[in-house]
Amino acid sequence: MSESPTRWLALATTVEPATLAVLLVDLATVHWAPLASAVGPLHGTAYLVTAVLARQLPLPRGVRLRGLVPAVGGLLVLRAAGRRGAAPGG
Amino acid sequence: MAAVLLSVHVVVAVVFVGAVTVAVSLFPRYGRQALAGDAAAVPALRLLHRVTRVYAVLSLAVPVFGIATASSLGVLTDTWVLAAMALTLLAAGVLVGAVLPGQQQVLGAAEGGLPPGGTRTDVGARVRRLATASGTFNLVWVVVVVLMVVRPGSTTGV
Repeated sequence: MSESPTRWLALATTVEPATLAVLLVDLATVHWAPLASAVGPLHGTAYLVTAVLARQLPLPRGVRLRGLVPAVGGLLVLRAAGRRGAAPGG
Repeated sequence: MAAVLLSVHVVVAVVFVGAVTVAVSLFPRYGRQALAGDAAAVPALRLLHRVTRVYAVLSLAVPVFGIATASSLGVLTDTWVLAAMALTLLAAGVLVGAVLPGQQQVLGAAEGGLPPGGTRTDVGARVRRLATASGTFNLVWVVVVVLMVVRPGSTTGV
């Protein structure tokens, strides 16, 4: 049951910083509004999906709340989950 | 751009939220069957719970694209949009606070027999509460969709 949320969390965790990078590069260079309109909501969805999936993992509350950190929250949660999974008896 | 955002918003709402409304309304019926001893209803219950959970997460795209659409149309602070947002929050609260935990309890009782100290009457009452919560959830969505169509107070008209 915990494997599938982790897989989807990994996907959302990739999409979230990638879309943010696209938005920031667009803002810094050509500032093309249609691109921002299309990618902005994708980034917002990835952020929410990351936060919600992280909340569902069987981890301590403090670790799950790291999913709320913008851009890198998913990475923080996955790293903490990996460390716990690797630790003996953890 | 608003047309693209609105199209994505509507498609995602129909496909993802639609799946959730069907799954939550079917769950109590199969829950009653499973608790009455029908073993064939248990896999259906598991699937319906999974559809509810997974599509609820995917449905997060609906308000995001909705806000983007409203913002690009300049109607973000219109009363009907604010009312729809409040009702969406309410529906999300019912889903996360009542429907999903209720489904988990009924599924647990159907899979592993009765919970410790639980009686058949308790589980029956739980299914009834779950049916009420599921009906409330779907009703709130109907109101949101009507708001989206009628847009009371909007000058763009239907």
